Amino acid sequence: MVQYNFKKITIVPPGKDFIDIILSRTQRQTPTVVHKGYAISRIRQFYMRKVRYSQQNFYEKLSTIIDEFPRLDDIHPFYGDLLHVLYNKDHYKLALGQINTARNIIAKISKDYLRLLKYGDSLYRCKCLKVAALGRMCTVVKRISPSLAYLEQIRQHMARLPSIDPNTRTVLICGYPNVGKSSFMNKITRADVDVQPYAFTTKSLFVGHTDYKYLRYQVIDTPGILDRPFEDRNIIEMCSITALAHLRAAVLFFLDISGSCGYSISQQAALFHSIKSLFMNKPLVIVCNKTDLQPLEGLSEDDMKLVMEMKEEAMKTITQAGDPNEEGVLLTMSTLTDDGVMSVKNAACERLLEQRVDVKMKSKKMIDCLNRFHVAVPKPRDNKERPVCIPQAVLEARANAAVKEKKKLERDLENENGGAGVYSASLKKHYILANDEWKEDVLPEILDGHNVADFLDPDILERCEELEREEGLRLEEQAAQEAFEIDGHELTQEQKEILSQIRKKKALLIQEHRMKKRTAESRPIVPRKFDKDRKFTADRMGRHLSSMGVDPSSAMDRARSRSRGRKRERSLSRVAADGDDMEIDGQQSNKKLRLRSRSRSKSRAPEEVIPGEGFKDSEQKKKAIKKAKDATKKRNKDARRGEADRVIPTLKPKHLKDWGKFCRDNLVKGGFCVTTGTDTPLPTLASCVIVAFLIVPIGLCNLFDR
Amino acid sequence: MPQGDYIELHHKRHGRRLDYEERKRKREAREVHRRSRDARKLLGAKGKRFAKKRYAEKAQMKRTLKMHDESTSRQKVDDDVQEGALPPYLLDRDQTQRAKTLSNTIKQKRKEKAGKWDVPLPKVRPVAEEEMFKVLRTGKRKTKQWKRMVTKATFVGAGFTRKPPKYERFIRPTGLRFTKAHVTHPELKCTFNLDIISVKKNPNGPMYTSLGVMTRGTIIEVNVSELGLVTPAGKVVWGKYAQVTNNPENDGCINAVLLV
Repeated sequence: MVQYNFKKITIVPPGKDFIDIILSRTQRQTPTVVHKGYAISRIRQFYMRKVRYSQQNFYEKLSTIIDEFPRLDDIHPFYGDLLHVLYNKDHYKLALGQINTARNIIAKISKDYLRLLKYGDSLYRCKCLKVAALGRMCTVVKRISPSLAYLEQIRQHMARLPSIDPNTRTVLICGYPNVGKSSFMNKITRADVDVQPYAFTTKSLFVGHTDYKYLRYQVIDTPGILDRPFEDRNIIEMCSITALAHLRAAVLFFLDISGSCGYSISQQAALFHSIKSLFMNKPLVIVCNKTDLQPLEGLSEDDMKLVMEMKEEAMKTITQAGDPNEEGVLLTMSTLTDDGVMSVKNAACERLLEQRVDVKMKSKKMIDCLNRFHVAVPKPRDNKERPVCIPQAVLEARANAAVKEKKKLERDLENENGGAGVYSASLKKHYILANDEWKEDVLPEILDGHNVADFLDPDILERCEELEREEGLRLEEQAAQEAFEIDGHELTQEQKEILSQIRKKKALLIQEHRMKKRTAESRPIVPRKFDKDRKFTADRMGRHLSSMGVDPSSAMDRARSRSRGRKRERSLSRVAADGDDMEIDGQQSNKKLRLRSRSRSKSRAPEEVIPGEGFKDSEQKKKAIKKAKDATKKRNKDARRGEADRVIPTLKPKHLKDWGKFCRDNLVKGGFCVTTGTDTPLPTLASCVIVAFLIVPIGLCNLFDR
Repeated sequence: MPQGDYIELHHKRHGRRLDYEERKRKREAREVHRRSRDARKLLGAKGKRFAKKRYAEKAQMKRTLKMHDESTSRQKVDDDVQEGALPPYLLDRDQTQRAKTLSNTIKQKRKEKAGKWDVPLPKVRPVAEEEMFKVLRTGKRKTKQWKRMVTKATFVGAGFTRKPPKYERFIRPTGLRFTKAHVTHPELKCTFNLDIISVKKNPNGPMYTSLGVMTRGTIIEVNVSELGLVTPAGKVVWGKYAQVTNNPENDGCINAVLLV
């Protein structure tokens, strides 16, 4: 069972892009560097690889195209015919055939040029051959670019074909244009087919799904068919004919008995008789639509006769098993008033289901299954009747619901008052306002030179109340402040001044604090060491304190001692002296303050070593420093960066020694001499003798000492 | 037959986005910036392709602009002078024109006698023997060097059989043998794929002609029965000469121009 997933076909690129893709891929995925000096076999291999790679890519891409496009003979005849109707079968096959030949030509080109590349004896010649090979392959693709464009269009169209399953339960709707097929379709399914008053609104097949007896049915809406000889039919009509011919479905033939579609009943009857051969073996239901304009009983004699003739034909299609009830063959309905729509659908689905069940029952497989089924029915216990029990409230509600009238829609109102162009609905009639009389008032847009819209707010009243509350609180506060008196005495002028100053200062501080608090998250607190504005200098503090009438010297000393590094013992003694001083955290390094030499009152000698860091006194620390320096001296002489630096810049520095001569002289045949950085001459006889002489006198001395 | 028109249907029913025109205008305005960024930043093969495309576009734009521009151009106004028109002071004299009409065959015979042929490529670069032949070492110790392998395109003819391998001095490998040539008719300007009948003359020497080596400038004889040419006498012409115009060993094919 082929899946009719035409959406899975890969995109067919246009000719130029195809070439670009393959060539850029070849350039990226194959090695790119080759030089004149390489061995000739390597050069050949390089270029042969490129030619082979391009050919393989072309082959792959063209093969995917050929494989993914469906073969018209391999798919269901409905789709085969539909595709033939839409895109001419011959053109389609020709295009695919061209792609196939192109693929073979490219393979042949690649083979020829690979053979020629074997005789390439220079880089230039191999390169020319590769360029020629790729060029010829690209020309082949350029020549088939019209076919590629055609196939891309087909692919896009095929991907949008409705997904009709040819084997499942299907209901087909057919008839003249404009009889109401699409409206019926919209009523029973969720398909949103365009419904317009002009003919041939539906230009293709549309699918919708509907449910009946817990089974899903496909409903196919076809474009209208005109009564013409078969050869004259255009593509749109051929679509519906194809659908009729190949799908085993229940057919609903729509009749417009009011004639508002523009065609008379006789024309429609003529159409029916011309295509009745297509209705063979299909449950047929004749539906008379638009009964709201013209009821079936009001038809004229001739028209009635035609309709009855059609009904006769339809009766012939009833299967033998089903009892020929006249209800299921000729039905009336109106899609506008929803009258009879459901019964039509039910009739069609029922007939289809019956037919399908009949066919299935007769097949061999069912007989096997049927033998295994057994429906067990409970045996009646006694003869007591047990009818359905419905509570009283539900019955009442049902009765009320039946009585309740349908809600009046705006659309009905519009239709009553003259239609779309005449009546305009009042949009303001559902407004919810405090006073109903305000509904029809006109809202001003500009008031006193301001835009009213700028001041409009849904919760404007609440905001107003909030503001008033705040205002009230503030006023209270102010009153409280003004009423404040110290122990009931009246303040002197001076005191008042001071009080006002204090209050001002306090307000300023509060404001600053609030500002800082507000922006604390967005603005980090700048530490003092980045204080560029010099707001927090000791001098400023001193000035400020003196302006207030306080002696600033002790505070300034304290502040200064915090900013500069001090010996621990000194700071400790200071703490002992001034008990109520503030604690000192430790040495705060402030490079800036250190640079300012005038602020430094006590300076240290250059060689002075402060004890600390685990040393008990200066002497010990001095010794440690000296040891460290001695160690680094040797390293620095060797130009080493540290203990772990073992880099040897040149293994055999020429300026130090003639290493060649050294190696040659010390070369042991069959081995190699080990070279070191320093000169380690092998012990010679002379040195041995000297050593011996040295040893001997020492030994003699020993002798003499005894 | 429209099948994917649900998008248009949606537009018909609900209209477009409220800011559709604005967005469209902005998108089109951004195209300019995108194109300039590509022109500046694309590198490598993509850059070359882009530059080529852009150049073609610009040339086309310039052409259309120039076409639509107003321009003052002066053109020489020529009074048509008819063929054979005489100035007034020479009228009233009988002038007869005499011309010798020679048949094509006579012309060819004369040319052949003179040894001069009017060919499209009169001079070609001479090909050295080192370039033409590759020395093959043979023998037990690979010291004998009397065999040569041809490195250019060759033509051997239908009934060709090799000499016994022990005695053949010039080896013409199968991979380099060609039987067909792409021959262009200089007047019709179209190219045909014609069979080679023989190699007539190789400008590098008679040895190469006898070997059938085809390099640039070689005169070959091709089978033109496809073209359907007929002599004035009524005989069908089935062989004509053509001159090779490319280097077949570099291109893998033989391109020639018919000598008419």
